[in-house]
Amino acid sequence: MFLVLLKKELFIELRSKELILSMVVFGIAIVLAFSFSSNLSRAVVINYASGMFWITILFVSALGVHRSFAYEKEYDAFSMLVTAPIDRGLIFLAKWVSGFIYLTLMEILIIFPFFKFLMIDYPSNILIAISTTLFINLGIMAVANLVSGIAMRSNLSEILLPILFFPLVSPIIIAATKISTSVMLNDSYVLWEIWVLIVGSIIIISGLAGYVLFDYLVEE
Amino acid sequence: MTNYFQKKNNQWSILVIIILSIINILNIVYNTPMVPDQHWAQKIFYVHVPSAWIGFLSYFIVMISGFMYLTSRDNKWDNIGLAASEIGTFFMALVLITGPIWATPIWGQPWVWEPRLVTTLILFLIYIGYFMIRAYGGYIERMKRNAAALGIVAFINVPIIFLSVQFWSPEIQSHPQVEMAEQPSEILSPFIFSLIVFTMLYTVMIRYRVYVINLNNGMNEDV
Repeated sequence: MFLVLLKKELFIELRSKELILSMVVFGIAIVLAFSFSSNLSRAVVINYASGMFWITILFVSALGVHRSFAYEKEYDAFSMLVTAPIDRGLIFLAKWVSGFIYLTLMEILIIFPFFKFLMIDYPSNILIAISTTLFINLGIMAVANLVSGIAMRSNLSEILLPILFFPLVSPIIIAATKISTSVMLNDSYVLWEIWVLIVGSIIIISGLAGYVLFDYLVEE
Repeated sequence: MTNYFQKKNNQWSILVIIILSIINILNIVYNTPMVPDQHWAQKIFYVHVPSAWIGFLSYFIVMISGFMYLTSRDNKWDNIGLAASEIGTFFMALVLITGPIWATPIWGQPWVWEPRLVTTLILFLIYIGYFMIRAYGGYIERMKRNAAALGIVAFINVPIIFLSVQFWSPEIQSHPQVEMAEQPSEILSPFIFSLIVFTMLYTVMIRYRVYVINLNNGMNEDV
């Protein structure tokens, strides 16, 4: 049943392509704004590149996850979805995994402009950079979908989502910036192990909370 | 519904807490010793730390009542959660005001990225969102469920937020709570007294707030 729900999420996007497109355009616009605000000073960019990248991802994920839940509001599709005889926690898991896929696709499209616009070098250990980024994406999307589940059917969901999401995701942003900076500097794993553990605990806590609480959140 | 102030128990508890609060303030101002390097600034600990304790206790109660509401759907738990969140946020605001007042002379600047203070600020912001959920949550039953879920999510994130900020800015060592545990008994005893008075004040406040919420909801049950 999870795969059916995931397929539904991915098919909607495959047909419209509006989510990925808007995320990519928004992401590039933010990178452009960072390029202007850093005055193209290499010293500034090198120090803040990781932070800039994750701030971009933070804004883009808020946009993406809101759109992903806004689909369900149209024609009251969510009411129909929750009347299906399925475990409602699976709806959260499908949203989480599809959000993770969209975010990763968006990052693939945005990462080259990011490095080129800000004139920074690619990390030397590409495999570690990719695996840590995927891991952090999983954490960001777990929190984003949990918060979106809470805010989606309120009257001011588009305002409530970032207001709730940004404070709740702050540990991941701290950890992500630390991890990416360490990866760029080729630091030993021991130095940033704690941040991986922090992201891991957030994935477990938010994933479990989302799976359990979604049952109550989507009730009519 | 019986008027809150007509009940003998409530009258006595309010009278006792007013007297104890006055004694507590006089005790803090006149009876506690001056710490040489901190002078008057140190006295803010007697308010700051109990406020932080009440704030976190409140948010813990919000989590418990959120859990109870989701499992029982009894409005009583939602009312307790709402009361605890309001009072908790009031005390958290006190922490965020008194913290910088203490930090200005001691740390030399009002805001330092100290883990407890940052965790308090993040929780405070989450609870602003909590009140917005309650205000703009739409259909009332759904709003209550969303608020209960947010209360649970906010509190289970506290250790993670605290740990991440602590590892992020580990150089900050001096803090009221840390220092309080190392103080001599002439400072520690009035501090514990203040903590007890604040907790008693909190129980009176929460009982009264729940009563007012019940009145607003038009429920026919005594506090």
